[in-house]
Amino acid sequence: MPETTNPTAMTEDGRTYAPHEAVIEASRCLMCEDPPCNQGCPASVDVRRFIRKIRFGNFRGAVRRIREANIMVGVCGRVCPQEMLCMEHCTRAKLDTPIDIAGLQRFAGDVELAGLAPVPEIPASRGVRVAVIGAGPAGLGAAAELAKAGVSVTVFEKADSPGGVLTHGIPPFRLDPSFATDEFSYVERLGVTMKYGVNADPAALLGEGFDAVFVGIGLGRPYTIGLDGEDLKGVHIAGDLLASVAAGETPTLGDDVVVIGGGNVAMDAAMTALRLGAANVHLCSLESHEEMPAFRSEIDEVLGEGVVFHTRTMPVRILGENGRVTGYEGIGIRWKTPGVLVPSNAEQIPGTGFGLKADAVIEAIGTGVLDRFDGVETDQRGVIKVDEETMKTSMDRVFAGGDIANGGATAVLAYGEGKRAARAIIEMLDRESGKGGGA
Amino acid sequence: MKKPNLAVDFCGVRFPNPFVLAAAPPTDDAEMIARGFEAGWAGAVVKTLGLEHVEVNLVSPMMVGMDYEDKRLVALQNIDLISDRDIREVLPEVRELKRSYPDRIVIVSIMASTEAEWKEITRRVQEAGADMIECSFSCPHGMPERGMGSAVGQNAELTYERAKWVAEAADVPVLIKLTPNVTDMRPVAEKVKEAGAEGVTCINTVKGLIGFDLDSMTPIPSVDGYSTEGGISGPAIKPIALRFVADVARDVGIPVAGVGGVVTWKDAAEFLLAGAGIVEVCTAVMRYGYDIIEELNEGLLLYLEDKGLGSPMDLVGKGLPKIVGHGELSRATKVLATVDEDTCIGCGACVIACRDGGHQAIEFAGPDAGDDARVPKVDDEKCIGCGFCRTVCPVDGCLTMQPRED
Repeated sequence: MPETTNPTAMTEDGRTYAPHEAVIEASRCLMCEDPPCNQGCPASVDVRRFIRKIRFGNFRGAVRRIREANIMVGVCGRVCPQEMLCMEHCTRAKLDTPIDIAGLQRFAGDVELAGLAPVPEIPASRGVRVAVIGAGPAGLGAAAELAKAGVSVTVFEKADSPGGVLTHGIPPFRLDPSFATDEFSYVERLGVTMKYGVNADPAALLGEGFDAVFVGIGLGRPYTIGLDGEDLKGVHIAGDLLASVAAGETPTLGDDVVVIGGGNVAMDAAMTALRLGAANVHLCSLESHEEMPAFRSEIDEVLGEGVVFHTRTMPVRILGENGRVTGYEGIGIRWKTPGVLVPSNAEQIPGTGFGLKADAVIEAIGTGVLDRFDGVETDQRGVIKVDEETMKTSMDRVFAGGDIANGGATAVLAYGEGKRAARAIIEMLDRESGKGGGA
Repeated sequence: MKKPNLAVDFCGVRFPNPFVLAAAPPTDDAEMIARGFEAGWAGAVVKTLGLEHVEVNLVSPMMVGMDYEDKRLVALQNIDLISDRDIREVLPEVRELKRSYPDRIVIVSIMASTEAEWKEITRRVQEAGADMIECSFSCPHGMPERGMGSAVGQNAELTYERAKWVAEAADVPVLIKLTPNVTDMRPVAEKVKEAGAEGVTCINTVKGLIGFDLDSMTPIPSVDGYSTEGGISGPAIKPIALRFVADVARDVGIPVAGVGGVVTWKDAAEFLLAGAGIVEVCTAVMRYGYDIIEELNEGLLLYLEDKGLGSPMDLVGKGLPKIVGHGELSRATKVLATVDEDTCIGCGACVIACRDGGHQAIEFAGPDAGDDARVPKVDDEKCIGCGFCRTVCPVDGCLTMQPRED
């Protein structure tokens, strides 16, 4: 697939394989014994198997096999950092270049949309009820896995639609929200009940008679820097800005935009600013290019679109006139202790200050925990402590996964953690009901 | 060392190089052939002509390809017929071609029915200035129903009779193009020789049924919902062609124009080793254009240089003495699958191939081997040296068959 992106297109560019191109790419697959790519997928997608299906012309088999492991077929084909996961392990890379697993998965996802996908035969009801809090990737992973095992599942979501950060924090040029919603709605076809606009609490749900609760609420509280001028008109929090764009709004930012941050949200914010009409976008990060936490592929896209990077710098102040942003001041830094990439370890380098004209400043410096639950043990940041094998929390019958339990990572990891928790929940419930090999 | 010269003598005719455009769409008119000559082809077999009263009623579509994974057109099926052009238009073009390209060899392919017709068309083609004549006794579709084409080439007596008619009428060398749609081509080729023709062209297309359209469940190429068996060409038929060329060259001892699936100079060199004196090409030209001659000529020239040979003629039949009966093959030599651990990328294609297609003799070293866990280990007790694993290894020279030391 071509690597260049169009900095004016707010919608997905439709970069996908034609069927014969997919077969060509799939036929590069070496079809390894004990394939290393499979070990790279947190959602346990059998990569070799779905690629084989594409190679031998069984396209619908491919998408169905992926959807069994991960209902987010096309979503992960678009947003997964596969170069860090399955593709990083691809044996073909030792010959030339890895198989474009992401592109093939995206192709498969377009072959049969979730609304048309057959629903697997679901075993008879186990007579147990599980509540899932949060309809993001972790919650959907848990809900799908539980429902397929015959568990009665209700998902409680604060927002008015599913997907969590995937639908409310990812700009539409990266992931078409209506496509994503279609894929997420597959859980309802598996028999899951969705309740939107609801704040739920695990202890209360157990009190209502649910046999177990899975918490997958994500983070949700964007950090702010606390700069002089942060209250000026024209200063945005990236998460809020991206959510409004994802909801279809087109806020005006002005010609000159400064983005602060070096993660994927900062990259998305920079690309979104260009699409909202900004002529000059500057991205200021504490980290160097190599140190940035954003996916390499996204950094390359942002660079390709002409965003100017000011790496290893920190903000000093935001300038304004008449209550509006007019400029940004930053300064170069060095790390006091190498490798510790946090603001408190940054030391300003005298004489390296710089100023930028700005009509808008977007802060994208990370997200912290928003909601906490009484009785569920967390670390000092509020991240829920879980057993890595079972995703069980300190509260009896309560499990957690995704960003709220891992502090913030990828959607596919969250999905995998939801699945892992689901299996532990099923095992627990089976043991209690005398089924299975527990005891 | 003296630079090799690509020119070859074949049936008494001097070709500037061994490569000739086969009788097919690329040779259906003089303008096309001229472009082929400009590109560097030594000769052309003008698409098969019949006499003017022979009706040639083409169907459409008449061609369809077979793909394999990422490869387009591994095979081509055609249900084309002989040229639908009027011989009275084509023969003056032959004369003009010879005038414009006196050093190039113009062969005209002909097909007829009765003795009188065969002799008439032979004389007329010759008068037009053809350097050689090729008789199609081999087209597998359309013509056999009318007692021509492969209906002749499948019958040694009919072949003998017609080859004799043409040989008697011709002053220029005659090639008889034979069909592979026989269990053994040698008895037919013997009859060609006995009839006095100078050589054979082998092979024509392999009769086949290339496939079905799965939506309509009808055969392809679909002519208004129906189809018919046709002639298969392209890379897929090369092994079949080489076998017939070798059979005839070795056991009949008649000059052979080799044709069937040639794309590269390597394919061509193999035809020469199997005994072909010139090499005809069709499907690859149709697909890639006349200028692939540059790679055929240059590649063959460099190969001859590498081998210290002066002429393609030094290759003709050179491989034949080493083709023997199965019973004559050595049972004393045994080889063992051997993996070069330095270049192995650990894909395990050989592990799967040996497990499910062989003798369960190859396994990964396993977790105990640490970083080498994915290096395949060959069990020399179980390996029978079949060589299948080598055919699937994606790394050049990594998996080889080495003589056993025991």
